[in-house]
Order: sequence, then C-alpha cells, then structure tokens
Amino acid sequence: MTTAHNEIDRVLSIDLCNRGVGFVVLEGRRKLVDWGVKQARKARETRTLAALGQLIDLYRPDVLLLEDCFVQGSRRCPRVRKLLKQTEDLAVVRNLKVCYVSCAQVRQAFARSKAVTKHEIACVIAARLALLAPQLPPPRKPWMSEGPRMSIFDAAAFALSFYESSGNTNHQSNLNISNS
Amino acid sequence: MPSRKLPNYLRGCRKGLGLSQKEMAFLLGCRNGGSVSRYERFTREPTLKTALMLEAVLGVAIRELFGGAFEQARQQTARQAQELVEQLRTHESSPPVQRKLGVLDAILNDRHANHLNAYDNRSQ
Repeated sequence: MTTAHNEIDRVLSIDLCNRGVGFVVLEGRRKLVDWGVKQARKARETRTLAALGQLIDLYRPDVLLLEDCFVQGSRRCPRVRKLLKQTEDLAVVRNLKVCYVSCAQVRQAFARSKAVTKHEIACVIAARLALLAPQLPPPRKPWMSEGPRMSIFDAAAFALSFYESSGNTNHQSNLNISNS
Repeated sequence: MPSRKLPNYLRGCRKGLGLSQKEMAFLLGCRNGGSVSRYERFTREPTLKTALMLEAVLGVAIRELFGGAFEQARQQTARQAQELVEQLRTHESSPPVQRKLGVLDAILNDRHANHLNAYDNRSQ
C-alpha cells in the first residue's frame, strides 16, 4: 500500500534478535529520543512482547517499524516471523500504524553513503546520530558472534530507511504501511 | 516539528551522557534511581529545583528538556491571555492598556521570547 506520511512525527523501530529486542525511538530523522536493548533470555516471546507493549505505551509512537521478513530471500527463523506477527497484532490493539522495512530497502537507502556491510551501515548511523556512537560495536571477526548492541543499529537502519524513503519520493512512501 | 511532544526527554539526554539512573540520582541528591526512573516514565514531575538541577547536569534548556510540559503550559497561558485580552478590551483605551494588549498579543503569537530578550536588555 502506498501512502503519504509526511505528518508522521514519532517512530518506534525494533529489531528482534536472539537475546531480545533492540529498539530506537526517533522524532524526525535527527532527534533520537531513546534507544536500547530489552533483554529476554527466558520466556523470550512473552517478555519481548511485554517490553514492546511498555515501549508503545510510554512513547505512543505514530508508526511502529518492523523488519519485513515475509519477502523472498529473508532468512528469519519461524520463531521471529511468528513474533513479528504477534507484534503487529499488539500494534493493532493499540491502533498503531505498522510499517515493514525490508533488508533490501535498508541496503538501497545506505547505498548512497557507500555502506554495504552491517558494520559500515552502523558507522554511517553513528555518524548521523552522534548519541549512538558510543554504542557502536567493534568490527566483527569471522569467529565472533554478533554483539547485542548491533540490534540497536539495525533498528536505527530501519528508521532512517523509512525517513529516507519518505523524503526521496516527495512524501510518498513505497514502504508497506498497514493502517491498524 | 512534532505536533505532540513527549512530557520530557530526560532518558535520551541522560543516556547520551552515559550516566546511569543511580548516578543521576546522586547528582540530583535523590536517595536512589527510583525517582529518576519515575521522571523518565512520566509518572512523576520533578520540582522546580530538581528541574533546574537537571538543566545544569544535562546542559539542555528546561523548555527543551520538558518539551511536552512546556507546550502544555504555553497553551494554557495562551488561553488565559485570550481571556485577559477580552477583559481589557472592555476598558477604556489608554497607553497602559495598549501596552498590556501588546504584551498579550506577543504571548498569543508566541513572540514572548522577544519580550524576554527586551527584559534582559533592560536589566543590564
């Protein structure tokens, strides 16, 4: 669905990871309101959904941004797919707009900055949102697992791609927005 | 600009400085981080003294730090100013009344910052 969203003020962008959920709250593409990782090691689904509910109630965002894991080529596991669907249901209950951003759209949005890898994209985000710079994890070696703070940058990448998309197309987004 | 600001932006400013809630509570003279948490969750409003201390610690003006609260206060003041304008218009026009109407007009049109600057210049 194509929709105009130049009236959108505050977005909550989340990235589900194996340790819980990374999130950022932005007001416009420059103002970072909050960010962090909500850890959920035990009863992951329940705790993640509870944490997301608290974030939505606290910040009352205009749009909830989620990763589009239903596109072809997405390698998200069934648990995360199910959790994303449950998150969308949570947003429906709270009358919140949900927007899906795919990894391809993120890559496209950061291609202009010549950022291809996750770390390069995270560096670009840290440069644009200076408050996130101390959270930037070191470059990952092949034998290292991904740092939990990377999910903050993934969430920020969805948010910046969302704003990029709205700015580049004359306030018309080609992102998938569902009016809950 | 956001049309509906959050009551305050304390959490982001605090995290930006890398301070924990406990450290912030220490700086504000609170017993523990609970008070700071309540301010950040909008369940409690700080006193004027605490708000001024927050400005001093975070280096952000109160009107920016408490964006939503300021916006709400400004709207309420504008409503009161409108009422006062209507009351003054029933009076006979005189230079003091005209001056007051000018001040109220500035409040209604959000030009009070200029008045504050004028006040600063006068007091120097």
